[in-house]
Amino acid sequence: MPIRNSVIIVASPRPRVGKTLLARLLVDYYAQEGHPVQAFDLNSGDGALARFLPEQVTSSDIADVQGQMALFDLLVSADNTIKIVDVGHEAYESFFALAHRIGFAEEARRRGIAPVILFMISPDRPAANAYSILRGRFTRATLAPVHNEMLGTGQLRDRFPPAGRGAALLRMPALAPGLRKYIEQPPFSFSGAQLANAKNIPIDSHIELQRWLRRIYLEFRELDLRVLLADLQSSIRL
Amino acid sequence: MARPAVILVGADKGGVGKTTVARTLLDYFSAHHAPTRAFDTESPRGTLKRFHSEITEVVDVNEVADQMKIFDTLGSAAAKVTVIDVRAGLLSSTLQALNDIGFLESAKKGQITFAVFHILGPSIASLEEITETSRFVGDASYFLVKNHINETSFFDWDPATYNSYFNQIKNAQEITVPKLNEMATEQVEVASVPFVQFVANKNLKNEAANYSFVLRGYVRHWLGQVWGEYDRVKLVDLVSPKIENTVRQVAG
Repeated sequence: MPIRNSVIIVASPRPRVGKTLLARLLVDYYAQEGHPVQAFDLNSGDGALARFLPEQVTSSDIADVQGQMALFDLLVSADNTIKIVDVGHEAYESFFALAHRIGFAEEARRRGIAPVILFMISPDRPAANAYSILRGRFTRATLAPVHNEMLGTGQLRDRFPPAGRGAALLRMPALAPGLRKYIEQPPFSFSGAQLANAKNIPIDSHIELQRWLRRIYLEFRELDLRVLLADLQSSIRL
Repeated sequence: MARPAVILVGADKGGVGKTTVARTLLDYFSAHHAPTRAFDTESPRGTLKRFHSEITEVVDVNEVADQMKIFDTLGSAAAKVTVIDVRAGLLSSTLQALNDIGFLESAKKGQITFAVFHILGPSIASLEEITETSRFVGDASYFLVKNHINETSFFDWDPATYNSYFNQIKNAQEITVPKLNEMATEQVEVASVPFVQFVANKNLKNEAANYSFVLRGYVRHWLGQVWGEYDRVKLVDLVSPKIENTVRQVAG
């Protein structure tokens, strides 16, 4: 995979929809692919992401200007790092209001960085409204809805149409409930070595986990390729 | 032949952001391709001169030689718009001086477009200044500018009182300048470049700078709001009716 700059924002206005799990998977996926990756945790207080991946995660707070600069000035620096941002539901409004006001997506594009928003879909009306607001405001970003099949909301996909360069629905397949306990204990990394060495996981669970992981990573790879392809197509057109 | 325009920017006291407003005006006219020159009355070297050195000269409005420099050249100067940043507390006396040299008369006759930007401070003394200035202003456009420079609850004058002053001036209009974040203000000060240049991430030499993206965003958003006010009061039409509205998209 060629090195590229991306900022991947994982967000939902709702709590407990699988954001942090998705963010963890993304970090480990890119690490495994050999990309330098950095993650930012905007879950106030909770700091769940940081607990799972202490090496790669920075806790961020955008309540004051210094915090905003620390995050966004870094997000628009093209340093060949993939940056994952886990936007907690409490920070959702202020994060996107600020990003819109300062023209984050436009600036990212200007610097050759692909801004990607992964929106965790949920069945409530506010989520659908929030999604259409994002569609209207972030026309330069890739807005991809994420269907976390553990929430079982497949029939709602028409409320969340993908928008922007290379966007398409991303599927997070369900993980059998019995297996979830193995991945919920921080610190935990999905990276090959750690999973292989996890002695407390019975072998068949282990196989099942790997299978699940492969399916998800396939989704990430396809997202990557779609965004890359769309980028190339648009630069040829110019 | 376009009619020359003169804009006075003044306040009854210092620290109300008068020069900040003058700077947004210079950027606004520049974006609208209306050639503008500026006179800074803070000597020896005023803030306006520091930020817009190319187009600004430092003068003393009470010196005859400087009066000639400003007013004798109104018709002949390439820049048809003249912005004068009047030293704090000298708005009324400057208007008096302009009256004495016959400038206000020319404005009344329609030979020159004349406008005043009166930057209001939070105290009632600001309003009282209007009684002084209204003696001279006549039909000229008079903009009462509420510049929100800090968190202090501002302008909670009794509405009736405010209106009584407002109504003393024939063509008075209100302009609101929202607060710009302190860190952004500070970085622009340090950079010593016009707002538009800061937003474009350029330094004094017009080379690529390294200003904070977040702060540039704050400035661009704020400048867009300020220019929105100038659009609302049709400032371009006022100073140069012949010039088309071709704005570079540098603000919000």
